[in-house]
Amino acid sequence: MKTVTIVAGVLLVFVFVWERVDVVRLGYQIERLKTQKVLLERERDQLQVKFSALTAPERIAKVATEKLGLIPPQQGQVLMVHQPGEAPSLLLPPVEQVRLAKRDSIGRESE
Amino acid sequence: MTVGPSRGRRYVMLLLLLCGFSIILFRLVTLQVLQAADLTAKADRQHQKTVTFEGARGMVLDRHGKVLAMNVEVPSVFGVPTSLESPATVARHLSPVLQIRSSELERKLRQDKSFVWLARKVEPEQGRRLEQLSLEGIGVVMEGRRFYPKGPLLAHVLGFSGMDGQGLEGLERRYDSHLHGEKRVTVLQRDALGRTVFPKGLAEQAPTPGHALTLTVDEVIQYIAEKELEEAVTHTHAKSGTIIVMEPQSGAILAMAVSPRFDPNVVAALTPDRWRNRALTDTYEPGSTMKAMVAAAALEEKVMMPDSMVFGENGQMVIANTTIHDHDKLGWMTFSEVIQKSSNIGAAKTGMALGEQRLYHYLQAFGFGQRTEIDLPGEVNGFLKAPKDWGRRSLASISMGQEIGVTPLQMVSAVATLANGGVMMKPYVVSEVRDQKGRLLREVRSQVKRRVVSPNTARIITTMLEGVVTNGTGTKAAIPGFRVAGKTGTAQKIDPRTGAYSSTQFVGSFVGYVPAESPRLAMIVVLDEPQGEAWGGAVAAPVFRRVGEQVLNYLGVSKDDTVKIALAMKDH
Repeated sequence: MKTVTIVAGVLLVFVFVWERVDVVRLGYQIERLKTQKVLLERERDQLQVKFSALTAPERIAKVATEKLGLIPPQQGQVLMVHQPGEAPSLLLPPVEQVRLAKRDSIGRESE
Repeated sequence: MTVGPSRGRRYVMLLLLLCGFSIILFRLVTLQVLQAADLTAKADRQHQKTVTFEGARGMVLDRHGKVLAMNVEVPSVFGVPTSLESPATVARHLSPVLQIRSSELERKLRQDKSFVWLARKVEPEQGRRLEQLSLEGIGVVMEGRRFYPKGPLLAHVLGFSGMDGQGLEGLERRYDSHLHGEKRVTVLQRDALGRTVFPKGLAEQAPTPGHALTLTVDEVIQYIAEKELEEAVTHTHAKSGTIIVMEPQSGAILAMAVSPRFDPNVVAALTPDRWRNRALTDTYEPGSTMKAMVAAAALEEKVMMPDSMVFGENGQMVIANTTIHDHDKLGWMTFSEVIQKSSNIGAAKTGMALGEQRLYHYLQAFGFGQRTEIDLPGEVNGFLKAPKDWGRRSLASISMGQEIGVTPLQMVSAVATLANGGVMMKPYVVSEVRDQKGRLLREVRSQVKRRVVSPNTARIITTMLEGVVTNGTGTKAAIPGFRVAGKTGTAQKIDPRTGAYSSTQFVGSFVGYVPAESPRLAMIVVLDEPQGEAWGGAVAAPVFRRVGEQVLNYLGVSKDDTVKIALAMKDH
């Protein structure tokens, strides 16, 4: 009985010590991850600024006209296409319409 | 037993000790009590430094979430002069990295301070090079720097912020309380060796960022407006120009372009003249565009009908000893033709038929002489005198757009009222405010200001304004496949030297909406002092057409003659 008590006591001490060590270890890990998060957020922001600058309409128009030789559509070259029963979507710009169209087509494929 | 001398020595010793302790006690009281406050402050100044860090400013996004302004953390470089042994050597090492003269850096590093900024918000690469140098007494801390990734796009609306993150112009100023981040004051301590001790992870513990704004502006429409405006200003050699595109049903501003443009990323060398938002800070005499509102008032009051006959006095009419001219010798014409041909005499007669009080009432109802209350700073009232201050010619002059000062924003709001069935909406540019976690804090809904004219009047005036584009002075604003309603304006500017109307300086403008039957856009184009042919119909109307055509295409608005192709995809 005495031996069992001693062993249990030692085990408890070990568990306690292990727990304390683990808490410290996890604390360091959390700190490291926090720092990593901040650095990644910073990198994300820098990339976001770069992305926004690269997708500026002015730049895209310049690349399209000067590098790719594209020109704005002339009169009669734009044709609006609407699905049956669908009112012309006045509120959404073309890019949104394309997104919606893609979503629809995915839906159909899975059916 | 002899105690005398011994006791005497003890007393002397005691007295000396008492004196000594009294002096110490006196000094202690002086230092710790009497001079405590001064000395504590002095000590704090020597070993403490308070530095304020501010959370990142919130982002500004267009109506589709495209980033127009955002903060990015970049390095700021500081020095701790009191811990430097050789400021000159450190300055020599820093100079090529920071691209600041060595002598200037040395001067800063020789100051008797525990903290000095050496360079704020430098490029990340410079920060990395500094860290590699690892100079004693030089540190790097991250600070938010404002970036406007689209460059000059929408700059006059966005404005800009200062080095310490305070909004100085435009939306940055108007919404500063939302945009600015949480302020955190950190007290830095010096250790026993005199080195500055920074709290652990100072650079990583960024304070809470500010709120994000979502605008009603669409960056593509804004780009189209700016591109066309720049071309028009260059082509006509105008001094400046403005285009505003607005949703008539809501008052939401889709684009607000001002020329000359500026880049808010680089404002240090610019003057306020360059960043002033002329769309709402500058007034001009509108000239004939005002006739649209005068005609609407006359129709509403039933003093005129579209087919009412008006005599054009063969192009000349004398009022209050001055002669009003028309550009053509017009005879009898219908009221619709008065507007189509933009007859000054017809407009003057319409104003006279309305009378001073009624004309003034409608001009006020259309929003002239008062701010539109748009959520941008710097808006002016414009200029509209009360009838008691009118001269004998004022009624006629105001009816044809003289003796009245308006901003482009007031004019487009007034015409948008006609496009919106006679109901005036409050213009606005910010539609949503969200916190850093994306939670909606404030949603701005369109706001009705008042009904100005009846739907029937709005419908009739729309037909008349369509006539301006189909058969009148504004034919160059016509967009193939769409019904356009609008009015041209050509106003002589007042020559500041003579105080009289100039014969060489004009403001050419066009204001209108499209599609006339169900308006999606209300737009104004104003060109200040175009050279050569300065008629609004010649310089501004074509810009309206080019912008309108591209924007309607972009929005996917169907043309009247579009063949609608039915794709019965779901049936297959």
